[in-house]
Amino acid sequence: MASTTVGRGRPATGPARRRGMLGWFDPRGRRLGGLAFILNRLTGLGLVVYLYLHLMILSLLVQGPNAWDDFVDIALSPPFLALDVFLLTGMLIHGLNGIRVGLVGLGLVASRQKALFIAAMVIAAFVALVGALRIFGGE
Amino acid sequence: MTETVTDARTTRVVVSRRKEGDDHGALRYDTFDVAVGPRTTILDALVAIRRELDPTLTFRHSCFHASCGTCGMRVDGREGLACVTPVPAGDEVTVEPLGNLPVVSDLVVDMDAFYDDFDDAGRPLVRASETIPGAARAEGVDELERYEDCIECGICLSACPVAGSDPRYVGPAALAAAWRVVEEPRGLDPGPVVRLMDDEQAAWRCHLAWECSEACPSGVDPAAAIMRLRRSAVGARAHRLFSFGGNR
Amino acid sequence: MTTDQRPADRPDAGPRNAPVFVFQVISGAALLVLLGLHMVAQHFIVPTGLRFYEDVIAWLRNPVMIAVEVAFLVFVTYHALAGVRAILFDFGFSERTERRITNILWVVGIVTVVYGVALFAAILNAAA
Repeated sequence: MASTTVGRGRPATGPARRRGMLGWFDPRGRRLGGLAFILNRLTGLGLVVYLYLHLMILSLLVQGPNAWDDFVDIALSPPFLALDVFLLTGMLIHGLNGIRVGLVGLGLVASRQKALFIAAMVIAAFVALVGALRIFGGE
Repeated sequence: MTETVTDARTTRVVVSRRKEGDDHGALRYDTFDVAVGPRTTILDALVAIRRELDPTLTFRHSCFHASCGTCGMRVDGREGLACVTPVPAGDEVTVEPLGNLPVVSDLVVDMDAFYDDFDDAGRPLVRASETIPGAARAEGVDELERYEDCIECGICLSACPVAGSDPRYVGPAALAAAWRVVEEPRGLDPGPVVRLMDDEQAAWRCHLAWECSEACPSGVDPAAAIMRLRRSAVGARAHRLFSFGGNR
Repeated sequence: MTTDQRPADRPDAGPRNAPVFVFQVISGAALLVLLGLHMVAQHFIVPTGLRFYEDVIAWLRNPVMIAVEVAFLVFVTYHALAGVRAILFDFGFSERTERRITNILWVVGIVTVVYGVALFAAILNAAA
């Protein structure tokens, strides 16, 4: 399709209206795939932070049993257990949606992405609930 | 449109405005009170504004029935064709140009680069793989073909969250067109198209938000096309790898 | 769409970096297994879970478990940083900046794995 401005020069244009990084996380008007994108991105970033926090915390083991067990006492407090549930939920969302991303993203089941996302989130919710009960139940 | 007087109401139409010569092309929003009925579309409202309230309002339209793709725009933040998007039931509606494309004036965006990417993709226009079974043919017509689904409206590109931050991303429309060339080459060699789109700014930039397919007014399903294109790209790479790098 | 270069116009136009996604899928699949093993080990082997110092040290003294944890660290570091790279690339930086980001993330990844392995060694050394 030829440019309609041939012979008359290009029109002056203003910048494109781009939502930018904030647009990644804006849920307004999004459908399931868009929500999956937001969730995957947020949980992924959260898990990257957790990875490095986890490595830092493991260094307490070098300091011996007292340092480590003191930390464990804090980690067994209700706020920390809530964070554990949060972490578990994030891992489940990211991992199970990741299955969808892998299968769909390589064109293996391109037409089933909605069903895969719904199934992934149902499983994630169920396992997160069971996990939360175990975590707060003192297991 | 046979709306009665009692069906009419007034709605505030908030329109994004930009004129190159005004305030260095700064963006602003103008509000217009427009009489609408239950079947008034956004395009109807814009035409009424231009006719009765502000003749400088600039927007594109053509067919009035969702087949030309010219009137794509954002209505209350969601992409759609203005000619078939009803004015919503509330008191106010916001109309903006498509995103991720340079704004020429008001609701008009520069589509040149968007169209040019179709050249890279092989520009499929006609689909031969689908005919209407049992359809009556005129005398002398051997076979029926139809146009490709894509009406090149730019709505998918506007809806894409990745294109919203990465101006280098080729975008869903061109990728879907590339897939059509792979799926139905019609004499073209799809290899170069696959290789061109097997790129981090092309097929591999998509993060499966699927907003393009949700927004597409023409049933193209560009997201699924991108995923199938990826499968082709991986297959082509594997073939090159296992044929010891021959014939790139 | 943009005045920036389209794929066909770029000097290095052609197949580029597609394997990153494929390796992301592979590492993700590996993590489903390794994370599962990690979680089972943390919570379901020892009655109270791998909570107290002695239990953790006993676990880490098993060379098979160390191997699993190192493999887990390698895959999770790759997956995490490849994910960060994908997010950063969505900002539409120049190709030069993208190459720099990739190189920096490789360094961060190698340092992370080396740190993790060194940490295991330090933990066992301190417990000896």
